[in-house]
Amino acid sequence: MSKPDVIIDGCDTLAKLFLKKTQERGDRIAMREKDFGIWQSYTWNDYREQALRIAYGLLSVGLRRGDVVSIQSEDCREWLWTDVGVLLAGGVVNGIYPTYQVRQVEHALTDSNARFLFVEDEEQLDKFLEIESDLPAIEKVFVFDWRGLRGFEHAKVESIDKLYERGDAYRAEHDGQVDQIVAAGSNDDLVALLYTSGTTGMPKGSMLTNRYVLFQTTLAPEYIRQTADDEILTYLPLCHLAERMFSAWLPIAHGATINFAESPETVMQNLQELSPTYVFAVPRVWEKFYSRVTTAMSEATWLGRKAYDLALRVGNRRADKLIAGEPLSASERFTFGLADRLVFRNIKKVLGLDRAHSACSGAAPISPSLLRWFLAIGLAIDELWGQTELGIITSTRAGVFRFGTVGPCFPGTDVRIDDNGEIVARSVGQFEGYLNLPDKTADTVVDGWIHTGDVGELDEEGNLSITDRLKDIIITAGGKNITPSVMENELKFSPFISDAVIIGDQRKFLTCLIMIDQENVEHYAQTHSVPFTDYRSLCARPEIIELIDSEVTRVNAGFSSVEQVKKFRLIDILLTAEDEELTPTMKLKRSFVSEKYTGLISDMYSR
Amino acid sequence: MNRPLLQMLNIETYYGPIMAIRGVSLDVYEGEIVAVLGANGAGKTTLLKTATGALDSSKGQVLLDGEEIQCRDPDWVARKGIAHVPEGREVFPFLSVAENLAMGAFNRNDADGVAADLRIVYDYFPLLEEMREKMAGYLSGGQQQMLAIGRGFMARPRLLLLDEPSLGLSPALVQEIFEIISRLNQEQELTILLVEQNANIALQVSQRGYVMEVGGMVMDGPSDKLLESEDIKEFYLGKKDEGVRGRRRWKKRKTWR
Repeated sequence: MSKPDVIIDGCDTLAKLFLKKTQERGDRIAMREKDFGIWQSYTWNDYREQALRIAYGLLSVGLRRGDVVSIQSEDCREWLWTDVGVLLAGGVVNGIYPTYQVRQVEHALTDSNARFLFVEDEEQLDKFLEIESDLPAIEKVFVFDWRGLRGFEHAKVESIDKLYERGDAYRAEHDGQVDQIVAAGSNDDLVALLYTSGTTGMPKGSMLTNRYVLFQTTLAPEYIRQTADDEILTYLPLCHLAERMFSAWLPIAHGATINFAESPETVMQNLQELSPTYVFAVPRVWEKFYSRVTTAMSEATWLGRKAYDLALRVGNRRADKLIAGEPLSASERFTFGLADRLVFRNIKKVLGLDRAHSACSGAAPISPSLLRWFLAIGLAIDELWGQTELGIITSTRAGVFRFGTVGPCFPGTDVRIDDNGEIVARSVGQFEGYLNLPDKTADTVVDGWIHTGDVGELDEEGNLSITDRLKDIIITAGGKNITPSVMENELKFSPFISDAVIIGDQRKFLTCLIMIDQENVEHYAQTHSVPFTDYRSLCARPEIIELIDSEVTRVNAGFSSVEQVKKFRLIDILLTAEDEELTPTMKLKRSFVSEKYTGLISDMYSR
Repeated sequence: MNRPLLQMLNIETYYGPIMAIRGVSLDVYEGEIVAVLGANGAGKTTLLKTATGALDSSKGQVLLDGEEIQCRDPDWVARKGIAHVPEGREVFPFLSVAENLAMGAFNRNDADGVAADLRIVYDYFPLLEEMREKMAGYLSGGQQQMLAIGRGFMARPRLLLLDEPSLGLSPALVQEIFEIISRLNQEQELTILLVEQNANIALQVSQRGYVMEVGGMVMDGPSDKLLESEDIKEFYLGKKDEGVRGRRRWKKRKTWR
């Protein structure tokens, strides 16, 4: 079946679009990154020239059209330069999460049959060296940051500076070769392999073509309101669809300026410092904003608390009207303006959200209560929905508030609900299948429609709401179907709960494993004189268990008896991104968690 | 277990506007040696000073045998039975060794007991007896450390706080001093709270340990367990797996498990 071509500004590939747009934008700033604590800017010309050096460098070491090149690094300027450089040379990029352990790296490299590998630094390089003998297909490894490697010699490993030199020398002899390669590209050529987090089994590599990527960029600025004037903060892994889209593809097409967060730990400070105008965040980050404000307010002066409560009342009233679609009276506008000026603007300034004209959430379900709170303080968050196989295909629309739904689908995409309740969807630019897995692809794509694995509903306005993952639906021993994510999201809305996994399949009642929010619970313990030493002892304190119990009880009140959580346990190990229990966007993996903590779970059901 | 001899609960201590300790809790039981490890600036010394009243905590409690002793004068706390051997020894340089030791017993009036304890100190540190008439300022670093410990012991405390006894001493001397610390604990039933950078020796002589980082506790446990912990090995004992290249420069992420 032939698909219609997606063409933007006369370009049918991302590489063509990149060359064209960077010429047009010239010395405008494309990206900023800190170097020894000082922001350094790189223009669109720099972006193109660096990408070209990498492209010619790769050609000089023998890259052929369609070869896979892997990038294993935290977000940085070289990530994007290499991403485009590979594309210009006719290759395909496979991003590898820098938090992956060696065995996961091995799978990603072997499965994609990568010929070249770019690593961030010696830490990432060591992962390759450890399994080098199992990876004969890798011909060369390039290191972005050579620090700590002086004197290190290895036939396959060299610094990216060396590659630049190779590129410059090769270009002097073969100038124009890249333009020929780019000109020969088509809508059907692969751009990237995106491995999906794989909560069960090994990650699968989705094949994304130019059609996919270009179609996604057509959604801006109308539905995804990112424009050339926007400043954005890049902090999620670029291997993940969302960040790749918001920080690589959309800016190439539309010209926003990206700013790299210094590290995953400094995201909050960097946000505050930059105050980006377009903010995409995963629910966990939005939850963090809310809990920071809640904690700060609990410590504020009496006057401060009163002012916040009053302002929030005004904000909530306005939010309710907006949700109902009713017009605001002049006095309501005035009082909200006052509340905003006196209270909300300061809150948003501290969070780094005061300049945000557009904010959106995606990659995981978000609690409607949280969205309502943000609307009350004057920040409307759009919820986006999609998955790697489809791209982003729905979004709530500006000015229309249907919390609990992810909005209607975009033109060029279709959504319907299957007989078993599963959401099936298609898009002009959907993926081309899983690499090396024709059976899995055939299971997922049936007659051109993608079976998303999500269960959901469509309302009469065409708004899609996501109930849960199909495989996550719990059928209790009593035969009752439970969708755990609804309650999990309400639990996560508590400032003390960072993540929760509900358990109860084939069981008499529901239970829950809870990961506490370290910062806020420690703060609570300290203000309430609850002695503790480390994280484990904190989780073991009866006062803390009581605190979480009261939160669970509060959330339970909104659910019917069979849907209530009867018992819970705290996960008393502080998990990091390196742990397999967490996805790269820091969500607990349900299947993994319920397997790993069988002890805790059987304990809850034993008595 | 019965009630701890020393209990610190949710201690917060400030230096002016700077919070040096942010909510630290710790227990010391009778007869134990407890080690507190941590890098420079982690707040270890501040913790000891807060225990003895040299610094006042702005929050939290210090309990000695169940009695609140926080924010009292240091001499009052000393009378209650806590002796502090400060970092850098701080002997009285213009007093003789014997006078320094006598200062340790300033709050005692049982002359016989003091004489007996002086004998004990001289038995543990024969060098001090030889030099008893010498001015303390003329002693070597190791001798001064012995004197400081001896002075602390002369108060016959219920709890002895030792702040970095290994500071600036040769490895052989460190070994010797820690042997004596261990013997004081066993033979004289002296309870000791020990703050150290030398994690290896501190964990060898102690029964339990705590790890402090930037003003908070990150880990605690029996000392033999701590010696096995990957993070302690890498960050405090300098034992790291050198990796495939034989020279690893990057640091693993601390997890404190």
